[in-house]
Formats: sequence, C-alpha cells, structure tokens
Amino acid sequence: MAEKRITVRATRFDPAKDKAPRLQSYDIPFADESMVVLDALNHIKAHVDGSLSYRWSCRMGICGSCGMMINGIPKLTCNAFLRDYWPRSITVEPLNNFPIVRDLVIDMEDFMHKLKSIKPWIIRKQEYPLGAGEHRQTMDQIDEFRQFSECINCMLCYAACPVYGLNNEFLGPAATALARRYDLDSRDQGIKERLPVLANSEGVWECSFVGECSVVCPKGVDPAKAIQQTKLDTTMRFVLPYGNREE
Amino acid sequence: MKALGGAEAADSTHPPPRVYKPEMPRGWWLRQRHYFLYIIREFTALPMALWLLWLLYEIQRASNGPKGYYPPSSPAFIVFSIIVLAFALYHTYTFLSLAGVIIHIKGVPSRLIVLSQFAAWLVASAVIAAVLIGFAR
Repeated sequence: MAEKRITVRATRFDPAKDKAPRLQSYDIPFADESMVVLDALNHIKAHVDGSLSYRWSCRMGICGSCGMMINGIPKLTCNAFLRDYWPRSITVEPLNNFPIVRDLVIDMEDFMHKLKSIKPWIIRKQEYPLGAGEHRQTMDQIDEFRQFSECINCMLCYAACPVYGLNNEFLGPAATALARRYDLDSRDQGIKERLPVLANSEGVWECSFVGECSVVCPKGVDPAKAIQQTKLDTTMRFVLPYGNREE
Repeated sequence: MKALGGAEAADSTHPPPRVYKPEMPRGWWLRQRHYFLYIIREFTALPMALWLLWLLYEIQRASNGPKGYYPPSSPAFIVFSIIVLAFALYHTYTFLSLAGVIIHIKGVPSRLIVLSQFAAWLVASAVIAAVLIGFAR
C-alpha cells in the first residue's frame, strides 16, 4: 500500500532577501494518525528544509508559542491534527495582524507592551509581611476570575480580531481578559491603576463585539465577555454616584 | 498571498525592511461566515437610522393634525420598510442574545437573563402596539 502523504504549504519570508512572504509547498509523509501540524513542521525542518523558522516549545497546549494560521484560522499547531485536514492540503501562515519577522515567526512586541500596560499582577495598597499569613479565598471567589486566568498569551485572539487588524492601537482581547482576571480577584486592589488603560478610547470601547476572539481561544477563555463586562463596569463607575468608591 | 498584501517596495538603495507588515485585505469580512454576519449586524444600523430619520420627518409633518396629512404608501416605501423591519429584528435578536454575556448576576444562569430580555421585549412591543392601535381607533 502506498505511503499516506499530505501537502503542507508554509509561509517563507527572509527579510534579507524577500520583499514579501510567499508560500512554499512540501509533500511529507503522514505516517501517524496522532500527527499534528507542529509535527509536520518539525518533519520539514528535520528532513526537508532546515531553514524553516517557527516558534514552539511545550507541544501540549500550555506554552502558547506555536500559534499560527492554519487554513486561515488561528490555531495552536500542537493542537491541530493532520487527520482533520487530510486528504486536503494544509496552509500554515504566521498569525494575522502581526508584523512578520521571518517565515512563520511574528513580532510580538506590541502584545507584550499591551500585556504589561494592564499590570497583570496582584496589586495591594499595602503589602503585609509574609508572617501575617496568606490571603485566603473561598472557591466562589476563585470562580469569579478562574476562566480568565486560563489565558496562555498565545495571541490567537489578536489574530482573529479584525478590530485589532484595522487599528493596532486597540488594547485587544487577551490583555483585557487578563486585566479582568485581576480586577475580579478578591486579593487585588489595583482596579484604579488599570482603568485608565481599559477605559480610554483605544481600550474596551474600541471593541465592536465581533466575538471571534472567544471562538478561537484554545483554553476556553471568553475575552469578548471580559471586554463587554468591563464596558458595563466602567459605565457604572462613571454614572453611579458611588461608582468610584474606594474598594 | 491573498492574506498578506501591502509589501513595501525595497529598492537597491534601501535595505529590505526588517519585518514585513501585512495589511488587512479589503475583503476580510468575506473570508469567514462569522465576520460576514458581524458586518451585516453592524450594517443594519444604517438603514434603520435612515428609516428613523424619515419617521421624525413624518412626525413633524403630522404635527399640524390629520388634515392634509397623507402617510406614504408607495410600494417602494413599503418594501423598504419591510427590509428595515427584518434588519431591526435581526439587530434586536443579536443585541438581546448578547445580554447573557454582558450581564453577570451571581446564581442566575445567563440563559435566564437572555430569556428575560426577550420577554421584556415582547411585553414592551405588545404595550406599544396596544397604545398605537388604541389611538388609531
């Protein structure tokens, strides 16, 4: 029986030589039903063309490094099985809406800047010494923010967001979801430090609720929900007389 | 490549750019059903705004009383109104469905929140219809 094969087309771009990215086709063996797109890229790099560049690390949907466009949809390549595409070919491109550094590698500087701007850590008005004990939380308090804490910063939501594609100034889905994660944390007291970033014109109000960010999230986070709830929160804080109370 | 356009031309005097900055293709909203439905949802606001502007004009015309007032009844206007009604229903459906995402009340399932919005819509529509029909008699 003839060996099963699959065609993988991958974006190639060498900034030293190319004016624009191009697609290169590779015909590779599809030997194992458990093969994912990342395995296919690794096969190409190991056996066909060692110059192919892409990011990856954990191979198990945790690190968020291997996000790419697969047949036009942002996905983690470690979680996209070849069997779901075969016998069709697979087109692998860098994540949409980001500058391309080389081949399938994007420049994530803008996202890192946005992530830092919402201060994704627990802010306390006054830090207590460690000896004073832990900050206790009930399961209900954890459930308030748990789903937003699942974000792995893979940036698939930014690649799926046409609002970010049209206006790179937009704070975007993951950064807002993570801001919400800390704003809802009973241990956090930093909402007023995050509000200037969240509530400005390039913050949550730029979102027109396409909703695709929540569709493509590989961890079940709902950034669209985080953004809309933040809109409601910021409005309430603005219109209600007690909205700006100290918390 | 369709998805990646807008290359900056690199000539012999300038080195090629360090990164390639792709631009959104004009037809991005045709690439996916979800994007298409989103654009339709956003677009519905435009004909609805036009229809409401017309309504304001009609109210102004009717302010002098029923004498000399003739509501428009051309087939073209009726067709336009039916299309706008369909758009308004679609817009309302999408808007109220999103209430479950936006409103968060502890212990209340989001499904119930959405259902309550639709119920409130039906009640409000029935009250407005009753008032309008009552005045027309």
